[in-house]
Amino acid sequence: MLVVILVTAFLTVISFSSDRKNELTIGSIGEPTRLNPIQSAESSASEVQQFIFESLLHFDENLEVETLLAASYTQSQTTTLRFQDDASAATALSQIEAARDSWPQWTLQEGHVDGSTLLLKFSLPGLDASESIFALLDAQATLPFTTLRAETGGKARQVLTAFQALEPPPTIIRTWFDYDAAFEITVIGDGLACQTRLDEFLAAQKLTDVTAKVIETRPFLAEPMVNFLLRRDVRWHDGEPFTSRDVAFTYQSIMDESVASPRKPDFDLIQSLTTPNPHEVHITYRKPYSPALNSWMIGLLPAHILKDKPIAWWNDQFNRHPVGTGPFKFFNWKTNESLRLVRNDDYWQGAPWLEAVVFRYLPDPVSIRIAFMTRQTDFWGVDPWAVAAFRDDPRFQVFRYPANQYNYVGWNLRNPLFQDLRVRTAFAHAVNVPEMIKYILYGNGVQSNGIFPPHFWFSDPDLKPIPYDPAAATRLLDEAGWVPGADGIREKDGKRLAFTLIVNQGNEVRKDIATLVQDNLHTVGVEVEVAIYEWAVFISRFINKLEFDATVLGWSTGPDYDAYQVWHSSQTNPGQLNFVGFDDPDVDALLAQIRQEYDPVKIKALAGQIQKAIFEDQPYLFLFVPDATSVIWKNSFRICRPDGQGGFVDTPVEITKAGWSYYMQWFYRPEFSDNLPGGRETLQP
Amino acid sequence: MNPPAQTPFRRAVKRFRRNRLGMLALVSVGGLFVIAAVFAILSSADIPFPSNPNATNLERKLLPPNPINWLGTDNLGRDLFSRMLHGSYISLTVGFVAVTVSLCIGIVIGAVSGYFGRWVDNILMRVVDAVMCFPTFFLILTAVALLGPSMFNIIIVIGLVSWTGTARLVRAEFLTLRETEYVRAAKTLGQSTPKIIFRHILPNAFAPIFVTAVLGIPAAILTEAGLSFLGFGVQPPQATWGNIIADGKTYLLDAWWLIVFPGLAIFLSALSFYLAGDALRQAVETRTERK
Amino acid sequence: MTTFILRRLLITAVLVFFISIISFFIITLTPGSPYPWGELNPKISESVKANFRKQFHLDEPIWNQYWFNMRGLFTGELRSIKDGRPVLERISERLPATLALNLCAMTIALSFGLLVGVYSAKVSGQWQDTSLSTVAFGFLAIPEFWVAYLLIIGLTAGFAVPLMGTVSHGIIFPNAIAATLDWIWHLALPATMLALGSIAVQSRYVRASLLETLREDYIRTAQAKGLSPEKVLYHHALRNSLRPLITGIGSLLPALIGGAVIIETIFAYPGIGRLGYQAVLERDYPTLVALNFITALLVLLGNLLADILYAIVDPRVRLE
Repeated sequence: MLVVILVTAFLTVISFSSDRKNELTIGSIGEPTRLNPIQSAESSASEVQQFIFESLLHFDENLEVETLLAASYTQSQTTTLRFQDDASAATALSQIEAARDSWPQWTLQEGHVDGSTLLLKFSLPGLDASESIFALLDAQATLPFTTLRAETGGKARQVLTAFQALEPPPTIIRTWFDYDAAFEITVIGDGLACQTRLDEFLAAQKLTDVTAKVIETRPFLAEPMVNFLLRRDVRWHDGEPFTSRDVAFTYQSIMDESVASPRKPDFDLIQSLTTPNPHEVHITYRKPYSPALNSWMIGLLPAHILKDKPIAWWNDQFNRHPVGTGPFKFFNWKTNESLRLVRNDDYWQGAPWLEAVVFRYLPDPVSIRIAFMTRQTDFWGVDPWAVAAFRDDPRFQVFRYPANQYNYVGWNLRNPLFQDLRVRTAFAHAVNVPEMIKYILYGNGVQSNGIFPPHFWFSDPDLKPIPYDPAAATRLLDEAGWVPGADGIREKDGKRLAFTLIVNQGNEVRKDIATLVQDNLHTVGVEVEVAIYEWAVFISRFINKLEFDATVLGWSTGPDYDAYQVWHSSQTNPGQLNFVGFDDPDVDALLAQIRQEYDPVKIKALAGQIQKAIFEDQPYLFLFVPDATSVIWKNSFRICRPDGQGGFVDTPVEITKAGWSYYMQWFYRPEFSDNLPGGRETLQP
Repeated sequence: MNPPAQTPFRRAVKRFRRNRLGMLALVSVGGLFVIAAVFAILSSADIPFPSNPNATNLERKLLPPNPINWLGTDNLGRDLFSRMLHGSYISLTVGFVAVTVSLCIGIVIGAVSGYFGRWVDNILMRVVDAVMCFPTFFLILTAVALLGPSMFNIIIVIGLVSWTGTARLVRAEFLTLRETEYVRAAKTLGQSTPKIIFRHILPNAFAPIFVTAVLGIPAAILTEAGLSFLGFGVQPPQATWGNIIADGKTYLLDAWWLIVFPGLAIFLSALSFYLAGDALRQAVETRTERK
Repeated sequence: MTTFILRRLLITAVLVFFISIISFFIITLTPGSPYPWGELNPKISESVKANFRKQFHLDEPIWNQYWFNMRGLFTGELRSIKDGRPVLERISERLPATLALNLCAMTIALSFGLLVGVYSAKVSGQWQDTSLSTVAFGFLAIPEFWVAYLLIIGLTAGFAVPLMGTVSHGIIFPNAIAATLDWIWHLALPATMLALGSIAVQSRYVRASLLETLREDYIRTAQAKGLSPEKVLYHHALRNSLRPLITGIGSLLPALIGGAVIIETIFAYPGIGRLGYQAVLERDYPTLVALNFITALLVLLGNLLADILYAIVDPRVRLE
C-alpha cells in the first residue's frame, strides 16, 4: 500500500510540476536571523529586505547614488572659525566679502559673524575651500581647533562619559566614537591643557593601556550637512503615511544601545538630526566623512509601529513580521524552509507584476542546485565548475559579472617567518594564481591586484598582479637566506620554512585554494600544513586571538573606498580586522585622509595610492576577484519597469553593473503578461 | 574449574564453516584487513602506490573512471582509487578501537552491576539510563567540536557513547551466571571477587560479548562516516571514505563516482562485518535460537 | 503502580538535572564562542559585542551561566543567541514537521518490521529466511546519506521531480488531493530513508521474539490441540511477542530525533535535527540547552511509558 501511495504521489507531483504560479522563487543557503535593516548585517537578510524595506537613497543600476524615498537631497557644510576677539572676526568677514568673485569657485554661499565666531556656509562639503579662504586671513588672529584621539579598545563610551563628568567639566566642543574602540575630542586652542587633564584622569583611573595624543590641529571646524526632502506619496504596508518621523526614529533606534545595531558606527558621525516638518530631514555631521552619505541606504523603520516597544517585542514580533514601504509585503516565514512575500498593490511606484517572491532556504550548494534543476527555484548562483555545462545548454540563460569581493592568503606579520618582504613576494611568485582561476573558478574571475577589485571606479588599473614565477620565488628565498635542507624544505638558522595555513569549514573554494597553495609552495621548498576549522572556532580561537600563521579568507565589500577598519595600524588588536598586523604610517595617513575627501578625482587618486602602497608590501597574497554567475531558465522571466517618464519599458532580463537581479521587483512571467500595462501587446516576440 | 572449552569451540567452528555466506563475509573482512594494514604502512611511509593520494593535478580534475584513474579523480585531480586505498585503514581503525573502548567500559560496568546487584546495580543502571538519554549524535558533535576532529578523539567519543548496550548485555549474563553451581562453588571455596568475575564468569559470557563486539564495528564505521559527512570527521587532506563523500557531495550531479565508490566501500565493509558477526552468533549459540 | 510511576518520575527528575549540568558543561567548554553576525563584519563595533556578551552572560562564571539558562528555560524567557527569539518558540515551530517525519518513519519501520519479522519467523531456517536476514543486514549497513544521494541523483537526473523541503513551491495544484499527495511525497522520501535501518532491526527483533514464544509450552499445547498453524501464530504467539516492538518504540524516539540530522539536511527538511545541528555550529548555547533538556526528558518519559505498556500488554510483568 505504501508503494501505491508513493507511486501516486510521485506521478501527481511530476505531472503538475510544469504549471507555474505567478511567482519568483529564489533559493538561498543563508537564512536571515531577523528582518530588520538596522539589526541585521548579513547579506541573506538584505536579500529579503530589499523587497520589503526602502531607504532614502540607493545605488542605481550603474552603482551610482540615486534617490528612493527621498525626493531630493542637498549637501552643504558649515565652517566655523574662532578669533581672538570680535573685531578680528569682523575684519575676517570683510576680507572674505571683498573676495566675493571667488565665492562660486569656493562654493561659498554666505558668511556671518557671531561674536568672535565666523560661520561660513558652503554648498559642497570638503576641506579645500575652507583652507583657501583661511589662507586669505590673518592666521595670528584665529584660535586653532585641536583634536585628541584616545585608543581605548571597546571602552570608549565609558571612559569619555567619566571624563566629561569631571568637575569642572572639560570644555570639549566636539566628540566622536570610532567603532567604540577609540574616541576623538576636539577642543579650542592647542589642546595641551586638555591633554594634561585627560592624562591625569587616565592615570587616576588606572587606565594605563589608554593613551591620548593630538592627531590634528586645524584652524577651523568643518561640519558637513545633508538635507533630505522626502517623497509625499509613500505609505507603509499598513496604510500609514511615511514621514520624517520614521527617519528620525530609525536614527534614534540605531543609536539606542539596547538595539545593538551593527550599523551604529556609521551613524556615530551624526551631530544632530532634525525634522522641521513631516517631509524634511536635516542632518549635521561631526566631521567631514564622505562615505557617510551611503549610510542612508539603510532601510527605514515604521515609527508608528515600533515606537515605545521593548526590544523583545522587536525580536518576537516585528523582526519576524516586518512592515516596510517596499514593492512586496511580508506574508509568512517558515524557518529553515521558506519565506514568502506578496505583492504590495499600493506600492508608490506601481504594483509589481509578480504575485509573490518566495525565498527557499536550503542547506548546501547541492540542494540549491537540485531545487533549481527540478524547477523549484527560478535562479541559481552557479557553482564555478558547472558554469561551462550551463553556458552551452540552450535551456538556460547565464549571467556573469564581477563579484564585489576578493580572496587572499593573509600572512600573520607578527610571525618572524613572514616579516621579510622577499619571503612574502616569493610566496606570491610561487603560487600559480592563473591556474587557480582556470581550474577552480573555471576562468570565472580575474587575478586580484590589491585591496580594491578592478571594477570599482576608484581602483588603480595600472597595478599589475605579481606573476607566477617559481624561479623568481626560488631566487628571492635564496636571497633571504632560506636554503634547502636535507628533506628539501628550506631552512635558516636551524629553523624550517614551515607554517600552518588555516581555513574555515564549509567553503569549498577556500579549501581548494589552501590545498593548492600547499602544493605550490612545496615545490619551492616550503612546508605548509593545512588545518580546517569550523567557523565558530576559526574566528574566536585563531583569527580574533591573532594566533595563526596564515589564513585563506576573502573580503566582500560594497564599492566602498574606506578601508580603515582593515588596514589602519590602530586596528591590530585582538578581535579587530587588521588581524594580519599591517602597520604603515604612510598608509595610516592616507586612510584618514580619504575619508574626509569629497572630490571624486581626489578620492580616486588617494585610493590608488593606498592600493599601491599596500600591494607593494604584500601583507596578503592577493589571489583573485571571482565572478558571480547566475543561471535562470531561459524565457521564464522578462522585465517591465517604469521608464521614469510615467511609462514602462519591456526588456528581456539583462545584466547591469549592479547585477542581473537589479530589476527583480519588475520581473514578470511571460505567461502571466495579461496584467501588464497594455496587456500582451507590450511583449516582443 | 574451567568448563570444557574445546568441544563447543570446535563445534562452533564446524558450524561456521557450513555457513557459506558467513565464510564469504569473513573472507572479505580478512581481505579488508590486509588492504588496510598494507596501506596503513604505505601511507605512513609516504609511498605513492598506486599513486600519491594527495598529489593534485588540476588538468585532470573531475575525470570519470578511466584507464589511468580507475575510479576517476576528484575536484583537485587526485586519484580516487589511491585515496580510497590510503583511507581504508581509518574506517577500520575507528571501528575496531572504538569498539574496544566501548567493550572495556561496558564489560566493567556490566560485570560489576550484574555481579553485585542491589544498590550497585541500581545506581549503575541509572547511569546507563542517563547516558542513553543523551542525544547521542549531538553529544558526539559537541564532543568532537570540543576535542577537535582527530581520529583519536573520534574513536574515544564514539567509544564513550556506545558502551551502554554491552553493559546491559554483560549485566544480564552475569545475573544468570552468578547463580550457577560452579560460581557458588567458587564462592564457597573463598576465591576473591575479581578472580570469580574474570576467571569464572567472564569466559562463559565470552560468546555473546564477542558477537556484540563484531556487530558493533560496522555501527562505529557508519557513525564515523556520518560524522565525516557533516564535516566533523577526520579532516582533509587525510582521505577517509566518509570525507571523500562529504567533499564529493558538492559535485553530486557532476561526478557521481565521488559518491558511489566510497559509499560502496563503506556499505560492503559494514555488510561483511554484519554478516560475519551474524554467522558467528549462529555458530556460538548453544541453544538453537536465543533472544 | 502509582508508587512505581511516582518513584520513576522522581528518578527521572534527578537524572534530567544531572544530564542538564553535564551537557551544559560540554556545550560551553566547546571551543569557539557565538558570533551571530555571519562572516567577519568590519562594521560591528566593540560595544555591540560587549552588549551581546553581557546580555547572554557569556563572560560570567559557568555556574551563573547555567543558572541563567536554566531559569530562562523554565520561565520561558530564554532567548536564542542567533535571532533573539524565545528558544521554546523556535523548537515548537519545528515540532509539526519533525513529528510528521518521525511518525511516518516509525510507522514504516514498525509495519515493515512486523511483516518481514513474522514472515521470516514462519519460514525460519529456510532459504527465504536467510536471504531476508541478509537483506536486513544490508539495510543496516547502508550509510543513509549515501543511499539518499543515490536516490536524489536518480530522481533528479531521470525525472526532475521536486523533492526538497516539505512541499513543492511555485506549482499550481488543481485540488487539495494533489497538494496532499505532494506533501506525502515530500514526507515519504526522507521517512523511508530514515526507516531503512530500523526496518532491519525491528524485523530481527520480531523474528527472534516470535520464535522464542513459539517454543513456549502454551503454544505447544495449542498446537497439540490441533489449531491451525496460522491461528497459533497470529492469535496466540504474535500478541505475546510484541514486547520488543514496545522497546522498539521507546528506543526509536531518540534515535530518530538524533539521527535525523543527516537526512533532514539532505532533503532540506525543516526538522529539529537541523535546528540542533545549526545551533552546534553557531554555538547557540540557549537553544542547545533547551534541546538537550527536552530530548533527555522525552527519552526518559518514553522509557517510562514503554515500561507501563509492558505491564499492560504482558500480564507477567509487574511494576514494582
